[in-house]
Amino acid sequence: MRKKKIKKINRKTALIFVIMSVFFLLFAKLVYVQIILHGKINRTVDKMINRENVETPKRGDILDFNRKILATSIKKYTVFLDPKVIKDFNRVKTVLANNGIKIKEKQLSDFGNTSYVPIAFNINMDIVDKIKKEQLKGIGFVTKYVRQYPEGRLLAHILGITDSDGNGLEGIEKICNESLSGNTIMTKIRRDGCGRIIQDKLVNQSKTRGQNVELSIDRTIQFITEEELRKVFEKYKAKKAVCIVQDPKDGKILAMVSLPDFDCSDKIKDISILRNAAISDVYEPGSTFKIVTVAAALETKKVKLSDTFYLENGKFKIADHTIRDDHKIQGSASLSKSMEMSSNIGMVKIAQKLGSENFYEYIRKFGFYSLAGIDLPGEERGLLMDVKRWNALTLPTVSFGQGIGVTALQIINAYSAIANDGILTKPCVIKKIEKLNADGETEMDGNILESREIRRVVSTETAHAIKKILKNTVELGTGKSAKINGYTVGGKTGTAQKVDPATKTYSTKHYTASFCGMVPAMNPAFVILVVVDEPKGSSYYAASVASPVFANIARRTAEYLGIEKDDVTQTIFKHK
Amino acid sequence: MYKPFLTIIFIIFSVFVYLWQQNTSMRFAYKVSNLQTEYNKINAENDLLRLKINSILALEKMYKVAKEKNLNRPDEKTIVYID
Repeated sequence: MRKKKIKKINRKTALIFVIMSVFFLLFAKLVYVQIILHGKINRTVDKMINRENVETPKRGDILDFNRKILATSIKKYTVFLDPKVIKDFNRVKTVLANNGIKIKEKQLSDFGNTSYVPIAFNINMDIVDKIKKEQLKGIGFVTKYVRQYPEGRLLAHILGITDSDGNGLEGIEKICNESLSGNTIMTKIRRDGCGRIIQDKLVNQSKTRGQNVELSIDRTIQFITEEELRKVFEKYKAKKAVCIVQDPKDGKILAMVSLPDFDCSDKIKDISILRNAAISDVYEPGSTFKIVTVAAALETKKVKLSDTFYLENGKFKIADHTIRDDHKIQGSASLSKSMEMSSNIGMVKIAQKLGSENFYEYIRKFGFYSLAGIDLPGEERGLLMDVKRWNALTLPTVSFGQGIGVTALQIINAYSAIANDGILTKPCVIKKIEKLNADGETEMDGNILESREIRRVVSTETAHAIKKILKNTVELGTGKSAKINGYTVGGKTGTAQKVDPATKTYSTKHYTASFCGMVPAMNPAFVILVVVDEPKGSSYYAASVASPVFANIARRTAEYLGIEKDDVTQTIFKHK
Repeated sequence: MYKPFLTIIFIIFSVFVYLWQQNTSMRFAYKVSNLQTEYNKINAENDLLRLKINSILALEKMYKVAKEKNLNRPDEKTIVYID
């Protein structure tokens, strides 16, 4: 009996011993894994489940004056293969082919020893979703924001371009790159055994995304301008054509076109096409510059509106050079008549009364040979010889717009100063830049368009007199083709000879035809400049090349903006 | 007699609560991650649709359509203004 009891105890003890041993072994293993191998395992697991993710923010949108989208970024996908994971290559090929993605390689081994083979770029989300549903192994997707321009070629030179990483290279994309780019942030994600992702923290994308930029450009006026300018550009097979529409009151640009242009979404092969001729190209303005001469002379009171000038019967010799008038006037003509008929000789005589120093001072006052300060890259300051180096021919030639280099922007800004009763303003294309507040909500920085006045160039009286002269020029003089039904127009034509690079003298074949004008003439709502460089064919004069384009753009813009018709007599007459 | 038993029960219950809490937080983490993905997806879809609308309403396209349909600007004389 006692023996049996000892046996029982021994069996019990043995069982407990075994269980304890198992537990001890497990405990020992636990200690080994948790304490001794702790660091190594943690590092391995960390590598397997923890990933650092760079959150690329969405680039801000570029909007027009009415908040229509001109440029935006869309999430697109790069589809890649991991040949090491693919099991059924034929099925992968079929599924991808069904979704419009073709793989050139016939065998899986053709890819070589790699885990990343990109096979399709810029794929839309709906296609990616279809492929994902097939649950194929060895197919991956990388997201990327791609810049899109829904309006195509419209505003190409102003919007500019971005590189493949989304950095602005030209235009607004470049100037506002910092605001548009947003903040790149690093986030941590965890991936479980099934590949499911758990984010370490939630990212409010609206806080990281780039700020929207609102332009002063109105896409409808831009479209009208582009359409009309393209017609003349193609008709006259011109080398270049530029048109700017500006609001003279605050200097904001309503439209700016440079031709030839490009599509922002296309690959740019010739980078010279990116050059925005409206602000970067310097040209001799010709007769459109005459308002500077007349305004300076009137402002300094060197001449009066009632003064008359003998116009030398169309030929005037100065420093062994003969200056000619295209529209010959016999005898004398008033200051206004000289402008109406675009008399070069009349301008020379006014400039001689004004003197070189005064004239130079007013040229600079009007903003020539200085940067206008527009918020676009690549602006030129123009060409102008220092007044101390002027020779006997400089004053006469500059008085009618030859021998001086200006940009289209400077000319329209000078006309806008006259339209704005003598006050020069800083031109701008950016209206507002969106700001994000602490809650990630958008608010606008509204002070960009404010206080853009640079200086007073001439008095209100002088500006008023110039506007009247410009009105007469369209009604009675060389600018008749710029007339529009129902509105009074003030403006000036300019047909400038270009310098032939071969002979380094003024060419008799190459001209720059331009027209700059304002509507309505005495209280302008907008100013338009049209410049056509080297129009081909027999009619190269501004009156037949540039003025009609101005008229079409001005009429359509005035109607679009709902500007009240001010030329009642003309409207009634036409309706009769 | 009941003390060790209650202690074991308490330990098991505590472990259970701890595991349940861990499990629930994991489930919520998955749910939140899925919702975040869904939100991002809807946002991306929204952007794409906005782009499509703007592309359709692009002035150049509208001009082409108008040209195809022979739509012309009305003559000013034919317009009747009603006050």
